[in-house]
Order: sequence, then structure tokens, then C-alpha cells
Amino acid sequence: MSQHFASRSRRLAVVDGGSRSAAASPVSGPETAAREVDWSILMAHVQAGNGDAYRRLLREITPYLRSMAARWCRDPGETEDAVQDVLMTVHAIRHTYDPTRPFGPWLTAIANRRIVDRLRRSGRRQARETPLTHEHETFAAPGANLSERTLERRALASAIERLPAAQRQAIRLLKLEEMSLKEAATATGTSIASLKVATHRGLAALRKLLSGRNGETR
Amino acid sequence: MTTPDLIDRLASGVTPVRRLRRPAMRAAGWLVLASIIAGLLIAGQGIRPDFRQSLADPGFLIGLAAAVLTGVCSATAAFMLSLPDRSRGWALLPLPSLALWLSTIGYQCLTNWIAFDPDGMRWGETARCFATLVLASLPLSLAILVMLRYAALLRPSLVTVTAGLAVSAITAAIMSLIHNFDSSILILIWNFGVAAVIVGLSGTLGRRMLAWFATRLTLPQG
Repeated sequence: MSQHFASRSRRLAVVDGGSRSAAASPVSGPETAAREVDWSILMAHVQAGNGDAYRRLLREITPYLRSMAARWCRDPGETEDAVQDVLMTVHAIRHTYDPTRPFGPWLTAIANRRIVDRLRRSGRRQARETPLTHEHETFAAPGANLSERTLERRALASAIERLPAAQRQAIRLLKLEEMSLKEAATATGTSIASLKVATHRGLAALRKLLSGRNGETR
Repeated sequence: MTTPDLIDRLASGVTPVRRLRRPAMRAAGWLVLASIIAGLLIAGQGIRPDFRQSLADPGFLIGLAAAVLTGVCSATAAFMLSLPDRSRGWALLPLPSLALWLSTIGYQCLTNWIAFDPDGMRWGETARCFATLVLASLPLSLAILVMLRYAALLRPSLVTVTAGLAVSAITAAIMSLIHNFDSSILILIWNFGVAAVIVGLSGTLGRRMLAWFATRLTLPQG
């Protein structure tokens, strides 16, 4: 029996080596052995249907499982999911534990299996998934795929910048900010007629600028 | 759901469970089932006509003993491997007897699938052989899958392979008592085909392979 305990503490120490939280790492030596005997006894009670023993056992093993999972999972959420997965598995197969055998290896084996399983699954998922970038269409509707229009919008903005000040202001207020002629006239202090003229000339100039640009690219 | 919530839920819904018997006992239980099936099939279909002569043939005896031994060893290995804290080394247990058994296997059964007669082609002995094979291996496979369903969460592939080997070996031993033809190759192909398909599925579909039997992760109600 004592040999069992010795090998068990060694195994726990190996599995737990390099873990970060002091609470999670079982202390080596007789204390670990005593705790594991506790766990074995608790588990025997759990198999008889004792809920309090179960609560205590699960609470005690959780930090240990968390430190195991944290070695593999970067994301804390992922770590917690792995811990819960192990707890659920312990629950589902709690009848396979034999109280005459040490508890540590039983728990460690289950935890390792489940964590490795999760890693494999997420590896498979990642192999199939590609992160979405601007190049990917998000929806079938053309309205949703605005990224291509960004370039056009930039070209338009730079063309507007190149207009004379009066025309630029007229285009900005009337076309981009969608003010009425009257509002724009009030805002700028110019007459409606001169705004109309500036807009007309501005649009003509833009048409020329942008078609010239298209001509270059084609 | 947070982990403390989960713990509370699990603890409040816990019910008493019956501990599994020792793996050797469970393997023995499955082997008892196998011998009952063997007895029923022999009672139903009769023992092979040349049984007395074959008893004098050392090749037959060695083959039969090796098949039975492979069945016993791999069933024990499967039940051992299905427990989380047992060594993977148990998977090696059936290998020596498997090697002996394979070395005695013939291949008549495959070649005799369709017999040529004056009446033309008809289903040969192999077709009947195949029916017996299904009768023997199906209940054995179902029984061992049900008994090992919780292993789906741990190391399904290794357990499936050793369990498949156990079913194959025992079925082969039963068949060699009933049929004149040595059908071991057919049995191996049939059972390992199934085992390979299951293992393949478990590889591609994750843990879904024992979908009907597998222990699932479910929260207790309430």
C-alpha cells in the first residue's frame, strides 16, 4: 500500500510540475498521500450516493484539474471548459473507480484523456476554419460587402479634396451631408443660386477627375 | 454554467452506483456468455462430422487452443484497457497467442465462397459458414460493446480493437467446432473489417463511434 502512495505522489508531482497556483499543486510528501486517501474514501462515499462527499471531492480536485488544463489551454475560458468536461466525465464513469486502488492515477488518466481529446477536437476545428478577412464575403447581399467600395470611397474623397474650395463646400454640404439648398445657404452665407452653380461645376469636375482615374486604371 | 454551479448540480443529483466488478471477473462473465452461445450453436447445427478425427490432429488442437487463448487474453485486455488507471501494456497480452493462432490459420473458406456444380453456380459452404458466423459474432459484439460503453470517453480505439479481436477469436473457435472448413480468415476479415470501420469512424467522427451504447456526458436532472 505504501508503495502505491509513493508512486502516486510521484505521479501527481510529475503531472503538476510547473503549475502556477500554490493552492493547486499538491504538496509532495505524506500530506499528498493523506489527501489522496481522503479522496479515495470520499469517492467510495460518492459511489454510495453521498452528495456532500461528492461536493467536497469535486471542489478539492477542481484546482488540481485546473492547473492540469492550464498547461495546455491558453484561454482561461477554454481551461474552465476542459475542467468541466473532466468533472462531467468523472461523474459519468464514477462507477469504474475501485476504492482499493489509488485515486490519483484514476483521476489523472481521465483528465489527460479528456484534455487531449479537447485539444484534438479544437485542432481539427481550427484546421477546417479560416479567419474572416475583408476579402471574404460575409453575406450574399451585395450591400453587406462594402469592403470593395472602400477603395472607391477613398478615391471619391481624394477627388473632392482636389476641388476648388467653393465647389468642395457645396458638394460636401449638399451631397454628402444631404442638406437642403436653403440650409446650406444659411450655413455658408452664400446665395442659393451660387450654391447651385458650385454644385453643378463641382459634379462636373468630379466626373472628369474620376473618369480620368478610371481611364488610368483601365 | 460556472464550475461551482456544475459541481452543485452534479452533487445534488448524485445517485448510488454499482461498482464495476474486477475486470478479470467481467471478462470471465463475457466468456461464459460466449460458451453459452457456443453450446446453443452446436446444439442447433451439430458438431462437425469429423470431430473425432480432428481431435487426433495436433494442428487442429493447437489452432483451437490458440484461438480460445487469444479470445480469453484479448477479452481480459479489453476489460483492463477500458479502465482509466490501467496500463496500456495490457494491449500486448493477446499478441503471443494471436501469432500462434494466425500461423495455424488456413484459407479454405475464402476460396470456397461459390462452389461449381453440374447444376451451375450456387452458394457454397461459405454462405452457411457466414450465417453461423453472424449468429455467433453479433451477440458477442453487442454484449462486449454494451459492457465497455463507458470506455468511449477514455481510449475507444484501443478498447475497440482488443474487443474486436476477442470476438473474432472466440467466433473462430466456435466455427472450428461446427464447420469442416477453416473459416478463421473469413472471421478475421469480417470482424476486423467491422473493428477497422469502427476505429476509422472513431477517428473521423470523434467520439461518436459507439453512438448507441456509449456513455454520454449528461447532467443529472434537478
